[in-house]
Amino acid sequence: MKQSQLMLIAVAVVALLLISSAAVFVLMKEEPEKLRMATTTSTQDSGLLDYILPTFESKYNCKVDVIAVGSGQALEMGKRGDVDVLMVHSPAAEQTFVAGGYGTNRTQIMYNWFVIVGPDNDPAGTRNATSSKDAFQRIHDNGTVGNAKFVSRSDGSGTYTKELGIWSSIGYNNTTVAAFSNDWYKQPGRGMGEVLDMCEDMNAYTLSDDATYYSRVDVALIPHLNITKQGDSALKNQYSVILVNSTMWPHINKTLAKDFLNWISSNAGQDVVKSYVKYGHQLFTPNAPGYVSTTAIGGLADTMLLENVAAGTSEAPEAMLMVKDTGTNAQRGRAMHGA
Amino acid sequence: MALEISYDVIQVTLLSLYVSGCATILGSAIGIPLGALIGLKEFGGKGLLKTITYTMYGFPPVVAGLAIYYLFSRAGPLGSFGILFTPTAMILAETLLVIPLTTGITIASVAEVDRSVKETVRSLGTTPRQSVLTVMREAWVGLVMAAMIGFGRCIAEVGAAYMVGGNIKGETRVLTTVIMLETRQGHFDYALGLGLVLIVVAMAVFFFLRLLQEKELL
Repeated sequence: MKQSQLMLIAVAVVALLLISSAAVFVLMKEEPEKLRMATTTSTQDSGLLDYILPTFESKYNCKVDVIAVGSGQALEMGKRGDVDVLMVHSPAAEQTFVAGGYGTNRTQIMYNWFVIVGPDNDPAGTRNATSSKDAFQRIHDNGTVGNAKFVSRSDGSGTYTKELGIWSSIGYNNTTVAAFSNDWYKQPGRGMGEVLDMCEDMNAYTLSDDATYYSRVDVALIPHLNITKQGDSALKNQYSVILVNSTMWPHINKTLAKDFLNWISSNAGQDVVKSYVKYGHQLFTPNAPGYVSTTAIGGLADTMLLENVAAGTSEAPEAMLMVKDTGTNAQRGRAMHGA
Repeated sequence: MALEISYDVIQVTLLSLYVSGCATILGSAIGIPLGALIGLKEFGGKGLLKTITYTMYGFPPVVAGLAIYYLFSRAGPLGSFGILFTPTAMILAETLLVIPLTTGITIASVAEVDRSVKETVRSLGTTPRQSVLTVMREAWVGLVMAAMIGFGRCIAEVGAAYMVGGNIKGETRVLTTVIMLETRQGHFDYALGLGLVLIVVAMAVFFFLRLLQEKELL
């Protein structure tokens, strides 16, 4: 290759780089007003935000910058004034946050479910547990004698906070839990999906949000893990929106943050949340104060499905039936892939 | 492996190149003169300074990220600039990581050249400034290598990029952080595909620079 040719290529590459960086800048500059929201990985990883935010963005001609971290880190970002609004699921920590004057207008907007997930053979017998507390007790008792394992998030996430709450309700405080033997209680400090992968590998139990569990089943990564306990009120996972204190941090986009809160807790916003279906499940149930459903998508569909299940008809999509299914995870996975 | 080259992938790739490129240029602009100064000038404490520089090779990216986060957080000393969660913050964090590499490699390269060329240059009776320039010209290959290694560290960086960038879609999402995101969601195939893109991009840059070097254009 001649030097002139090489020179030409060099110039071309440099030009391309310059143009691309310019393009990156232009794309950033042309965006309208911005709302910076810190939220938890579960709302991002479940696909909910990608589904609901465009509606808000087009209505208010703005762009929402999502920073998805653990609830603990999200609250810390709010405390330091690095974001405008929070969408988190760590009620006790949220109350402390608001009581400390770091945020205002804490409003519950939706919930989803935590589930106790365990290996096929359910060595701790959590399927027969009377409640999630009972299930945890069984895992603990079997764990200490070497019959079961539990993988904990141990990472300051909302899920971990919930797990600690359940332990504490049966008499194991945070210090005791942290001192559980490594032989059966693993504390990796990783994300939900990764913890589920570990459970699959180790035949262990964990507490998971249902969305992450379904998503992992959907990609067939955890064929031997099943939901062994679900649906009791202690497993409800409440999400709230909190406005970061704009008196403390004057630079905050308080107007847009308020707009977002108003929109997501309005009937219109709540209906959008309700209409989000993935992996064959409605993943989030809207419950903002005063919400009255104006669509039939979530509630009615659910009712119809349950009726179909009861009547044994085959009208409902196969995957939807799995809500109450007790079959193996492999069957569920197939059903969902088929759907 | 189903990896469609979408608009998003291209944008993320370009941002990776942009952030790494800027950090490399900044880190070289600071590190190379600094390294030349330390390498060529005789002064007290030179040995200690060299040791510190070499030790900083192992500076953990996640700490650089945390430091920049604290500095530029609204509650931090430089919070009023409002650059947290922007590519600028990522560039600064990665620049911090590049400076020790470029400085250290420059020290080594000029010291190497110095020994052999110094005598010749001096015997020709050149001025100090001329001799410095001559040494730098002789050390050129090492200096380019310093920048390349710096770029390699930046393009592969994930901890600092995630912490100060925030992995915001369309703004601060780069190849490494999007690979982390997809892995977290269990999309291993897609993450692996993006990993290939990262490898190809990084290797293409190095290949191109190497080509220029061999043809003595660089």
